[in-house]
Amino acid sequence: MHERERAEEDLRVIRTLMERATIYRAISAPTALAGGVLAVALTAIIWVRELHWAARAPEVMRHISTRGFASLWLAALAIVIALNTFFVWRRAQRDGRPFFSPSMKLALRSILPCLFLPAATTIWFFYDGYEFDNELLLVRVWIGFYGLALIATQHFAPRSLVILGWAFLITAAAMIVASRQLEYYATPLVPNLAMGVTFGLYHLIYAACVWKSPAPAESE
Amino acid sequence: MPDFDKLDKAIHEKGRLSIMTLLATRMAWSFQDLKAELNMSDGNLITHLRTLHKLGLVAVTKEIRDRPQTSYALTAKGRSAFQEYLRVLEQILKAGRK
Repeated sequence: MHERERAEEDLRVIRTLMERATIYRAISAPTALAGGVLAVALTAIIWVRELHWAARAPEVMRHISTRGFASLWLAALAIVIALNTFFVWRRAQRDGRPFFSPSMKLALRSILPCLFLPAATTIWFFYDGYEFDNELLLVRVWIGFYGLALIATQHFAPRSLVILGWAFLITAAAMIVASRQLEYYATPLVPNLAMGVTFGLYHLIYAACVWKSPAPAESE
Repeated sequence: MPDFDKLDKAIHEKGRLSIMTLLATRMAWSFQDLKAELNMSDGNLITHLRTLHKLGLVAVTKEIRDRPQTSYALTAKGRSAFQEYLRVLEQILKAGRK
């Protein structure tokens, strides 16, 4: 092998290892695609169902219960987490690497504190919060803190993921600023639409942008 | 023209180059994390780490928390040796393009 080829090979090894150790995409393109499709589908189902029942029983303000709304979205979250776990496991098997890689541990350490408050808000919602149609508050917390969780990985995440995080955070902030206007509209349509736009549309756009990313291996 | 004779032989071996590269990315790495990331056997990894430690390129810290844990980091000498290694590689590639 010529010296130049050996030097190129050495640099390739260095680059691969550095990327693997310093870049971690907490959400892969397949996970974003699956999550996006699921969120858009769920939004459409809730929306159509509400409109259907609004036409048949207009005297009733809403037809899906507040806890039912939250339960459906939590079920969607559980499906996406299961899918993501499968993608990570499949990738680890293929590369002969451990499931809990050092990069994954680092990502979890960064993300988990940001999910603590949304978890507490969700528990409160199921105990008390549901009584006052508080989906809008719940959805704002979910969207905002999810954005913060993504931004928390900025020291080792690719730029696209940080931009996605900012999109969530800005949307949540805009929803807080426009609280009065949003609360004017009937629930659960506005919270449902907000979930569809953020967890659905944003993830689909992100998946389309990073699908052909040169290092999808680092993602899942 | 730059050549491979100028490269640090201790770093040039592929296993040790991988270790030096990972150590250059963070302040410190535990033995288990290095092993997981590089997919090396315990014996192979410890041999390379001992070689690098003897040459003063890598510092070793032993701690006892819940259980004994050994972590590794680049020394100042190790960091500058790694930077010099990269510089020589870059020169080789530049010379090859001419």
